[in-house]
Amino acid sequence: MKTKILSIITLFLMTLSMSAQIDRTIQPKPGPAPKINIGKPETFELKNGLKVLVVENHILPRVSATLTINNNLIFEGDKAGVSGLTGSLLGTGTNKINKDSFDEEVDYLGANINFSSQSASMRSLSKYFPRVLELMADAALHPVFTQEEFDKESTKLIESLKIGEKSVSNIANRVENALAYGKNHPYGEFTSPKSVKNVNLNDVKNFYSTYFKPNNAYLVIVGDVNLKEVKKLVKKGFAKWQKGTLPTYTIPDVNNVAKTEIDFVDMPHAVQSNVAMVNSTNLKMSSPDYFAVKLANYILGGGGEARLFLNLREDKGYTYGAYSSISSDEKTSALFSASAQVRNMVTDSSAVEFVKEIKKIRDTKVTDEELKNAKAAYVGSFVRNVEKPATIARYALNIRRNNLPENFYETYLQNINAVTVADIQRVAQKYLSADHARIIVVGKALDVLPNLEKLPYKINYFDKEANKTSKPDLSKPIPAGVTKQTVLNNYFNAIGGVDKIKSIKSTLVTYEASAMGNTIQSTEKRTADKYANETSMGGNVMAKVIMTKDGVTMNKQPLPAAMAKDMISGLGTFLEMGLLQNENSKLTGIEPIDGKDTYVITTKGDVVSTSIYFDVKTSLKVRESQTVSMGGRTQNQAANFSDYKEFNGIMFAGVKTAKVGPQTVTFKLLNAKVNEGVTDVDFQ
Amino acid sequence: MRKTFFLSFLTLLLSLGTFAQKVSFEEYNLSNGLHVILHQDNTAPVVTTSVMYHVGSKNEVVGRTGFAHFFEHLLFEGTKNIKRGDWFKIVSANGGTNNANTTQDRTYYYEVFPSNNLKLGLWMESERMMHPIINQIGVDTQNEVVKEEKRLRVDNSPYGQWTSQVFKNLFKKHPYHWVTIGSMADLDAATLEEFRAFNKKFYLPNNAVLVVSGDFELASTKKLVKAYFEPIPAGPKVVQSNIKEEPITKEIKTTYYDSNIQIPAVFTVYRTPAMTTRDARILDMISDILSGGKSSRLYKKLVDKDKKALQIAAFNYSLEDYGAYIVLALPLGKTSLDELVNDMNKEIVKLQSNLISERELQKLRNKFENKFVNSNASVEGIANSLARFHLLYGDANLINTEINIYNSVTREEIRDVAKKYLNPNQRLVLDYLPKKDKE
Repeated sequence: MKTKILSIITLFLMTLSMSAQIDRTIQPKPGPAPKINIGKPETFELKNGLKVLVVENHILPRVSATLTINNNLIFEGDKAGVSGLTGSLLGTGTNKINKDSFDEEVDYLGANINFSSQSASMRSLSKYFPRVLELMADAALHPVFTQEEFDKESTKLIESLKIGEKSVSNIANRVENALAYGKNHPYGEFTSPKSVKNVNLNDVKNFYSTYFKPNNAYLVIVGDVNLKEVKKLVKKGFAKWQKGTLPTYTIPDVNNVAKTEIDFVDMPHAVQSNVAMVNSTNLKMSSPDYFAVKLANYILGGGGEARLFLNLREDKGYTYGAYSSISSDEKTSALFSASAQVRNMVTDSSAVEFVKEIKKIRDTKVTDEELKNAKAAYVGSFVRNVEKPATIARYALNIRRNNLPENFYETYLQNINAVTVADIQRVAQKYLSADHARIIVVGKALDVLPNLEKLPYKINYFDKEANKTSKPDLSKPIPAGVTKQTVLNNYFNAIGGVDKIKSIKSTLVTYEASAMGNTIQSTEKRTADKYANETSMGGNVMAKVIMTKDGVTMNKQPLPAAMAKDMISGLGTFLEMGLLQNENSKLTGIEPIDGKDTYVITTKGDVVSTSIYFDVKTSLKVRESQTVSMGGRTQNQAANFSDYKEFNGIMFAGVKTAKVGPQTVTFKLLNAKVNEGVTDVDFQ
Repeated sequence: MRKTFFLSFLTLLLSLGTFAQKVSFEEYNLSNGLHVILHQDNTAPVVTTSVMYHVGSKNEVVGRTGFAHFFEHLLFEGTKNIKRGDWFKIVSANGGTNNANTTQDRTYYYEVFPSNNLKLGLWMESERMMHPIINQIGVDTQNEVVKEEKRLRVDNSPYGQWTSQVFKNLFKKHPYHWVTIGSMADLDAATLEEFRAFNKKFYLPNNAVLVVSGDFELASTKKLVKAYFEPIPAGPKVVQSNIKEEPITKEIKTTYYDSNIQIPAVFTVYRTPAMTTRDARILDMISDILSGGKSSRLYKKLVDKDKKALQIAAFNYSLEDYGAYIVLALPLGKTSLDELVNDMNKEIVKLQSNLISERELQKLRNKFENKFVNSNASVEGIANSLARFHLLYGDANLINTEINIYNSVTREEIRDVAKKYLNPNQRLVLDYLPKKDKE
């Protein structure tokens, strides 16, 4: 009665306050924090050690039951896959019921029963629960493993391994674990067709009889049941399950690399790279650092408002999502990983950003607001989930599996709220590594390696099974029928037509750029056998190069004969005319420039070597690069060409960009002339 | 003996009728046409606020595809009163979680908060509906993000192209012939003005439903809903186009090569009627007969007994105007795709020529009852179902009554629907093959 009056009063008050106008320019403040109840499951234990947790919830007429065996880790070695096969053979028949009848009855009841090598689970309507639990217990505890079913599951397993074999994320996941833990570690090993072929029916029987024991087992039952009934059913199904002695196994130590490195796996068809920065660490749920570590990870990469996401997705648009995660593990090392799938072109930039963000959270304190928001997110998530029956069960199981204090979840919010910004920095330094991490990149070598090589990290190469391998070949095969002649003719056709180009007597082009506060002009004049280039800055001529078959002069001084010999191969109304005739000029391969494939025509000389790049799709020249080696010194120069424009029926590159020292200078085409403005005087 | 006894016991139970599990709710319209549905459940201190707009990729036009999905991203960029970049921060700083998703038919946005932040959830959704900021910087950023999403989910993903291949071939005129993510070239070419116009046309109160589900107080919530949403002006009524396809009368064959796979797959696909029809629901039941569980006909035959397939599946990709009924298989060993198509068809022919047994019908009912119970297990799920049933089916109460439709389906209807839609001359056969590496 009393509560009723109270609620009427509350209602009245609320009605009053609500009649006020809202102000939508102001973000609404939260009401008083809701009260939460942390439920506790009922528990009991069978004599064989099976611990049973029951959460009664009668809102929906359904029940779930999960049997989990919490053994030590198991290393499967050259028989990797034996656990998986054991799981898939459970549920394929017992002494009491054959496989077909079992499948039929489970489906008939509208229920689900699933098994893995050390677990079993079921869901059903509560009215069928007794029978479904009985079916699950029988299948889990009294399996009959037959050769026929073994052969079937083994074939399917081998085939299904192929499904993920070309998936970048699947390979990345496998290689990350294999490298971070080592392939001699239960978390680092993986199942391969070869290892599955080493497994026979007896291995499965042995695996089952060794590990499927109640010693470390938990049975969690959630839903529309009552405890008394459950006790009866569980005893009936599980009391005869025999305890056993489990083999001992020492888990190998897990170490980080001495110095941060890139580990690269080539996936030639990938359109996105998986980039992951990974280190192992030692984090247990029972550690006093646990809450600070979780919050630190949240601030760095826990979701759509975390730093990685805001930086790599919202600011740069490199990826659909960038996140980080850190596991906790009672039995062995945990793993920290920050990762994203990014488009090929920004693979190296993404790696740089991961390193930057990890350094930042280690080197500087997070803001009070970031920490406050992270705490709110954790608190909110806790509140949203804590009253779900499945959560109650999971929390209770966590306490037992991870040796946590009984009040772990009662003090959870208090512990979250106690974390300071200093704690965040301290744990970031302790658990997240910048100098001993692996940057694991799985992607298309041809597109991403050239830029990754520019980063200050050693690159190690691995195959898809995490075996060391050599650097992949970056050149693409030249398609049949493509030759130097076809590439050059296509280029001539693209800029105006082969016949037209060949009939031209002279060309004159002037480019202009502004750099270092000055205007730079460069004028190039060409005939079939003569070349002149004049570069001026602010109107003053800085350099004049003249080239004929007899030699090359710069500001009237002759250049060394060896150098001149190489240079005059570029004579012609167009540079490419020279390439056509020079036997030293060869089509050497296909290379990507800014994500686009180009044909490369290289002219190797004693002093000067040049490479000219033609876009495979448009046939246009996109880059010239030149290497000059003299007296033990080597100098590289390159210019990119784009924005082709028409002058007198011929296309010339409207923009030419070149690196001058540290600066990129953009030259714009001022003028281009064909068959005019060039006289013999120009070459004197 | 024991089993027979058990089964008859079951039948007895069933005849007592299925458990009545009612989702109670209240619904009404605001003066601007916004439909409001309130479902109160105070068992846990959690509340969901969600808005479903009746716009999906089928409201786009050729040359400008991908807009609806693009807006799923764009409408997180900020509003008049929520700064760009703050959306996710506000949600999580207040203990909430949020997301959105887009289909061919509708777009759904939602937040889940501890119940003391109901007001915040309503404010955010009303801001998004009233005055979202759509500017070039947001468009440019989300353009890159959407391209990454496509690379991740489609281009770099094993079997990632099957939907686009199926819909491209199954539909010729209807906008279902492109996929929700749309064309990247279209998005590149679209102008800011076009995006703004799309927003003005579709993201209107009179083209949406607001659902509040969970722990709240009814009277005060109604006042808040009115205060936040009623000032949003209505727009011109959105007319959903009604484009009819010519029936398929001759098998369509097509092939696609995917560089992300090693094991081929074959899809046989039939064009089926709208999700609102009784026939569409009967097709759902046929899916269960064919591939629901290990005792289902296709699984038992092709995967378990004959070992010809690694995986099989049959399902009804049900949409507002049409459906695509898909039966697919991945071969095991040397089995050819043609052989699989043949075997799959044999099972369909059985359904067309013989009635399923009474026991099979009962099995179906048990399965659908189980699905029904589980579908209403969370306040988030209930919010989504209420919105969907109202917006696409025109009856929110289907959340309680759809099970009755399934329960009323007869064995004869199952046979007749299989006969009506699932014939070889009405289907598309897509051979989905591994693309060989060039080396």
